[in-house]
Amino acid sequence: MASIEVTSEVIGSVWKIEKAVGDTVAEGDLIMILESMKMEIPVEAPAAGKLSQILVAPEDSVDEDQILCLIEN
Amino acid sequence: MNFEELLNDLQAREDRARAMGGPDRLARRDAQGVLNARSRIDAFIDSDSWTETGLLAVSSMVPEDHDKTPADGKVAGFAKVDGRMVGLISNDFTTKGGSSSATNMKKIGHVKRVATQRGFPLVFLGESSGARMPDNMGARGMGNNLGHDPGQYVRQRETPWAAAVLGQCYGSSAWYACLADFTVMRRGAVMAVASPGLASMAIGQDIEAEDLGGWKLHSQVSGLVDRVVDTDEEALAEINTFLSYMPSHCNEVPPRAAVPAGSDAGAARIEDILPTDRKRGYDVRKIINCLADLDSFFEFKPKFGRTCVTGLARLDGRTVGFLASNPMGKAGALDVAGCEKATRFTVLCDSFNIPLILLVDTPGFVIGIEGERQKAPGKIMNFMQALQMCTVPKLSVIMRKSYGQAYLNMGGGRNSDDVAAWPTAEISFMDPDYATEIVTWGQPADDARKREIRQQMENDASAYGLAEIFAVQSVIPPSATRRYLIQQLEIHELRPTGGIGQHRMGAWPTTY
Repeated sequence: MASIEVTSEVIGSVWKIEKAVGDTVAEGDLIMILESMKMEIPVEAPAAGKLSQILVAPEDSVDEDQILCLIEN
Repeated sequence: MNFEELLNDLQAREDRARAMGGPDRLARRDAQGVLNARSRIDAFIDSDSWTETGLLAVSSMVPEDHDKTPADGKVAGFAKVDGRMVGLISNDFTTKGGSSSATNMKKIGHVKRVATQRGFPLVFLGESSGARMPDNMGARGMGNNLGHDPGQYVRQRETPWAAAVLGQCYGSSAWYACLADFTVMRRGAVMAVASPGLASMAIGQDIEAEDLGGWKLHSQVSGLVDRVVDTDEEALAEINTFLSYMPSHCNEVPPRAAVPAGSDAGAARIEDILPTDRKRGYDVRKIINCLADLDSFFEFKPKFGRTCVTGLARLDGRTVGFLASNPMGKAGALDVAGCEKATRFTVLCDSFNIPLILLVDTPGFVIGIEGERQKAPGKIMNFMQALQMCTVPKLSVIMRKSYGQAYLNMGGGRNSDDVAAWPTAEISFMDPDYATEIVTWGQPADDARKREIRQQMENDASAYGLAEIFAVQSVIPPSATRRYLIQQLEIHELRPTGGIGQHRMGAWPTTY
């Protein structure tokens, strides 16, 4: 099974996590919302699959290109 | 010798030249999955279209190198790519590290002159250890090798240049990568002024190649590279893609392509992508993909200056350049890297008769010490200079926010030939609720100061305020934007010159 890394586009922090480990996601589904410069930044699934790992928690700081979660498909 | 012997001798010389650095070195590259100078050419060009120049060139500097420098280490010539002529330089790393010396620099100069004067693109496949030693050492070495061509490094954008960083690139391969309009780099390749070995010697500390000039540095920090790939074949395919958008020379319009079926379907999806909450971000690439002909968007520098998105695309088959605020990047607030990227892209489009389409959603500029240390006001002015010197059609669509000076940088007022706004547009000098926080981001500012800033702001920010005074030409729903852009492109065709701009920025510096 291939593992897809879902990465942050922004420097910011984790605001809300909308899915749980084990959830099946479709391409484009909202996984979590980051906050960056007072903007809510949606993180969407780049492909369909199962959310195998969520590597961040609400209020964690995140960096550009940091891996947020993994999807297996 | 009789005639037959002469011909056999010629054939033997050609065969030796084509053998490059020999079977062992070529086999090692093959085992690593890396192409060589000649297999790169074969993979890139139309079959049977190769005309080599200087096959029998060798070192003219060191007698002992006569038999060790087939084609003097750089393969040069002319070929067709998708039926159009290109000039090509392909470095042979198996021959003296593809290093530069008198004969091979003459070859590069020749191909460059011919491509420039005869009006076709130039492609550099870079992999070179830099200046050849000992050829360039000493006063005679310097005088014999260098400085013969007073125009060697002048770039006036007469024809498009593309470069690939396909291994170690020091010296000429690095210079041409910087001078090119489109530069693609293979992961694992290195580009720098000098090699890590030399740099380490110079400063007395070990320097890692990736830190000195790896793909992350160049695609994310220096911004000298437009796209990153994993293989030579991918790099060549990307150069091919780039060329497909471009004219052969600056006095030609770009080629017009067929419009893929389904290209009109995307515009209706914009209203689903654009969030109703003005605090919610979105990836502007999705909007570009809804507007452009299907699958035609080719992004430049995706991980540099992320506050805006730049790339070539097609609308109704015509090449256009998109320059779009990206709310995913610093809320769309323009920073120094964003200004640099936007400026360079504007110069590219203007130089090759490509209309520029600006999509606007920006709360202003990022302010603060880091930006000032990088000359932010100067970079903002560079961007304005480029935009205002453009003579290709400029179309601007205000999607959501357009604030302050950035309103001008993104084509507001008469900085575009036509400006439309969506009903979601907000235009003002400064947004009271929002930009106060963003533009003081990273600076200490207490509540009293923030209230003071807010009080200075205007109240009515809607698009109709601009429409009523003809400061935008129309207010349109997002779903009508593709059709609007296509109509405007037809209206603004440069008919008196057959679509050709004035190219006032042809000599704009390639890095600044």
